[in-house]
Amino acid sequence: MTLGAWAELVASGVITGGVYALVALGLNLQYGLMRILNIAHGEFLMLGAFLTWAAQTGFGISPLVMLPVAFLLLMALGLAIHRLTFRRLARTSADLDVFEARGLMVSFGLMFLVQNFAQWLWGGELRGYDYLADPVAIGDARFAANKLVLLALALAISGALIVVLRTTLLGKGVRALMQSPTGAQLVGIDTERLHPLMFGVGLGLSGVAGCLLSMTYTISPAMGEPYTVTALIVITLGGFGSMAGALVGGIALGVIEAVGMHFTNPSLKTLLSYGIFIAVLLWRPNGLFARR
Amino acid sequence: MMRRDLVILAVLAAAALALPYVASEFVVSLALSCLMYAALASSWASFCGSTRYLSLATAAFFGIGAYTSALTLGTLPWLAAIGLGAAIAAAVAVVMGAAVLHLRGTYFAVLTFGMTELIRHSIAYFEKQVTGTVGRVLTVVPERDTIYLTVLGLAVAAVLAAIFIRPSRFGLAMAGIGADEQRAETLGVDTRVVKIAGFAFTAAFAGAVGAAMSVRWTYIDPATVFNPFIGFQTVLIALIGGAATLWGPLLAAVVFSLLAETLRLQMPQVYMMSLGLLLILSVLYLPGGLASIRWRRA
Repeated sequence: MTLGAWAELVASGVITGGVYALVALGLNLQYGLMRILNIAHGEFLMLGAFLTWAAQTGFGISPLVMLPVAFLLLMALGLAIHRLTFRRLARTSADLDVFEARGLMVSFGLMFLVQNFAQWLWGGELRGYDYLADPVAIGDARFAANKLVLLALALAISGALIVVLRTTLLGKGVRALMQSPTGAQLVGIDTERLHPLMFGVGLGLSGVAGCLLSMTYTISPAMGEPYTVTALIVITLGGFGSMAGALVGGIALGVIEAVGMHFTNPSLKTLLSYGIFIAVLLWRPNGLFARR
Repeated sequence: MMRRDLVILAVLAAAALALPYVASEFVVSLALSCLMYAALASSWASFCGSTRYLSLATAAFFGIGAYTSALTLGTLPWLAAIGLGAAIAAAVAVVMGAAVLHLRGTYFAVLTFGMTELIRHSIAYFEKQVTGTVGRVLTVVPERDTIYLTVLGLAVAAVLAAIFIRPSRFGLAMAGIGADEQRAETLGVDTRVVKIAGFAFTAAFAGAVGAAMSVRWTYIDPATVFNPFIGFQTVLIALIGGAATLWGPLLAAVVFSLLAETLRLQMPQVYMMSLGLLLILSVLYLPGGLASIRWRRA
């Protein structure tokens, strides 16, 4: 292989990796902060993608305009879901382990509910639209313009989230909650308000990811599950609750998959990602799952 | 208590035994799906309900059993194929359990789910690359009544095992692990061995049920027999019925199979949506399951 071919392979891996990092952001926030392992994460991503698709094909609204709309709509949905389910769950669970197990079951229920609702509403077929599909040449390599926009926005949103968590008072509160829920409450951080807000933001971010993904990939009501699994792998690789870790983990996974697929064959992709997932969980379960 | 449970089981089994002779084809197939989920959910609850290890790997064992009987039924007799399915599923469970049973809660649930998917994709890949097929057609198929009686036998065995395991040393050890694992270990329970044995026990039942049910479909591929939904529905039935109770899973299995068969054909999405809603509602408002409603009075 020439140097140029390698560069193209790695670059396409980085682009996919950027998408993975973006997909993982919302779940990372929800699990890292509240220990809600939202298995329905991918389904909300799918809702974001379908909203964008419906707006684009129905009214000709640009996906980039839909970005904040998808965020706000899904955030509102997230606030409603938190109010209806997780708030009661947090109050009635004896300890965090019980809450986590019951939260997992609730999110499985949400997964059935949302996925089949979409299938009932939109039917099961694959859909898509063209947006910025022309290739752009960078050096010898050529990439679709929408993929580059996707990567740039994914990096920008991850970066913005990292900066917000690092520098603002809100971010400080969130990080304090991740480190010690009781301690955070003792110093006057309002968990009752921060939890629903961050659950909503997590869902909003999955909507944003779906909105961006619909620009480049075909969408269907069943698209969510693989993304949930990818998000799980990424946050396992990067460490739960760590945004920077998820960014690095996502890009690493993208590159590993691109290179691995190039040297074996594409049908091994799912096998490869599940293999990495299980290996990481078995190899470093506490180091990666536990908050540092 | 135990005598009463045995009498109830005997009455139910006798009723189910008489069914193929009096009822229509449709009712028998409905009863078959009831029995299948009764066996899966009861055996799942015996281990996962008492130890509170949430396994999502039922689909993996079910699929392993299904593939075993599909591959060996031409050469092995019917019961031997089912026994082999159970044995291979239990062997896989021992290996899997040794690797993941030191993890609790969400980690365990997510890992068992991941491993199920890994097994499914591995078999799909192997079939495509090496054997060059997608699925397998079963040519040697036993009669309907044979399948019905086998699944009935498995369901009765699962409940019977649950009745006898509960008050035994093994059952008490599992309940102790569920209440407080560290304390159980301090009190001298070899938690590792108990957990692996319990996990293998559920896997053996799931494998046997898979082996018996595969012939019902006459065509199997990894996507149908390793369908994670089989695992989810088992967990769902056990949780809604009450995973820590004896009759809860059985009760919920009957309710669900009836619901599934009536709704699924006309409105599959509505069925799945109501399933999701029921799961959420039962986790929120009925953490002890259906069976706990009556129990609370005593």
